Amino acid sequence: MPFLSKFSSTALLFPTMLMLGVVLGIPLYYLLNFSTLTGDFMLQDVTGPTISNYSDLLTDGFFLGIAGRTFVISFCVTVVALVLGFPLASLMSRAPAAWRSPIAIVVLSPLLVSMVASSYGWIVILGNNGVINNALMGLGLIRAPIRLLYTDFAIGVGLVHIVLPFMVLSLVAALDRIEPAISEAASTLGANRARVWWHILLPLCVPGIGAGVTLCFSLSISAYVTPAVLGPSGPNFITTLIYQNFVNLYEWGTGSAMAFLLLLVAAAVVLGLGTLTTLLSPAQRRPQ
Amino acid sequence: MNRLFFGVVIALLFTFILAPTVVIALSSFGTSEILEFPPQSFTLRWYAYALARPEFTSAAWNSLWLAVSSTAIATPLAIAASLAITRGRLPGREVLQTILLAPLVVPSVVIGLAILLASSRLGFSSGSTRLIAAHVLIVLPYLVRTTSASLVRLDPLAEEAARTLGANSLRTFLHVTLPGLAPGLLAGMIFGFIISFDNVSISLFLANARTNTLPLSLMSYVEYNLDPSVAAVSTLLILMALVVAIALERFAGLRKTLGA
Repeated sequence: MPFLSKFSSTALLFPTMLMLGVVLGIPLYYLLNFSTLTGDFMLQDVTGPTISNYSDLLTDGFFLGIAGRTFVISFCVTVVALVLGFPLASLMSRAPAAWRSPIAIVVLSPLLVSMVASSYGWIVILGNNGVINNALMGLGLIRAPIRLLYTDFAIGVGLVHIVLPFMVLSLVAALDRIEPAISEAASTLGANRARVWWHILLPLCVPGIGAGVTLCFSLSISAYVTPAVLGPSGPNFITTLIYQNFVNLYEWGTGSAMAFLLLLVAAAVVLGLGTLTTLLSPAQRRPQ
Repeated sequence: MNRLFFGVVIALLFTFILAPTVVIALSSFGTSEILEFPPQSFTLRWYAYALARPEFTSAAWNSLWLAVSSTAIATPLAIAASLAITRGRLPGREVLQTILLAPLVVPSVVIGLAILLASSRLGFSSGSTRLIAAHVLIVLPYLVRTTSASLVRLDPLAEEAARTLGANSLRTFLHVTLPGLAPGLLAGMIFGFIISFDNVSISLFLANARTNTLPLSLMSYVEYNLDPSVAAVSTLLILMALVVAIALERFAGLRKTLGA
């Protein structure tokens, strides 16, 4: 059994590939197909194929505004997750064995807790009558509550909370691969902790940073629950805009074009950041 | 000093990570009609209220049924595909692996939408079949990842020995490969279950009034009322996540399951 014949491995792979073709391949074909149709989808009076949905979108200020906002928020979320991820990753990779399980359960918990549940937690924390505003008013720092909930800030907080574990996992994987002898050697030669981090550990973490940034950014731009629950009312993110086009406006052609653009951007992010990471990773050269 | 600074940073980060879950869990016991934290006095009545509401209970059964059946369907598919990839000699193995993990790259809103469009065009809009198929799709990559990672770690020598001693491929698989695979597979199944149970963005497009899932019914309930019954349901979901986290840590290690 160690090496299956070509025939039996093809036979084993076939059902899964068939399922992927039927449940993912064919639907994506129809998505592309619908994105080239215009007209009234409620009355099934449509014409096509045309690229007008795409050309209209790329000149539509409202769409570009929401797409830009999705990008800016996701970029900020990724940067914040990277900064917050490092202390957690270094804690996880250095913690004594007895502490590892509880630390892993806490740090990775946002991955397993329903996003809907944690979003409601943020509502209670960020609301006008919420934990933060009550604390600030109790301390006499503010007179009237500041608006935190139903803003882009709230979307950002909720998203950082969700993507942080993915960043930490990527960084820990990179940190664990580094020989401890390398940073010990640098310290012995007189480098302080900051220098060791900046000149040794950080460059060696580039593959982990790349993987974490890719994951966090693509998860952020395609998030739905967080913007829908914590964001300003109305379409506030690319995903909520797509949903609105389908369910409320019945604009299936425009909505499909938006979804296809989101898919292209998500794929480009994965490919582009992957290439960039490879280019930036320190080459495994032997000293001359 | 440096250690103290690091300790403070970690304490703040742990507060940030745990804040929403702790706050929602505590406010589920409040007596007030609207969600508040900290609660002034405590009661269990929101749990009784939530458990008596058919929109929550029937949605919870739907979610449970959906998560169990999609994981049950995805598991044999994932085992077969992982065996083919790790034990087979197929050309273009890396490409095949990328295709198997493709549902992770496609945003789930796009998956939900695409399946909605295809099924409406092909005149196939039976609620639960396409919903289960879509959930199989999103559960599959996690199972493939954990299963093929355990297969790679499993020493093929044991399988070879079994074959040399006269066991056929089925016996070898059932008595040698599968037991070695079990922890990773079980972890993948548990993680797949929770991925399906908590999914919103696919069910959003594919569920109907009859197949409504628990996360969806929570989201629509909150549009009109923000009483602590949603906090009670959320707390039950948090408890489920806690049980899952401990089980994953026991079976295969949380980090290995989630980050493989």
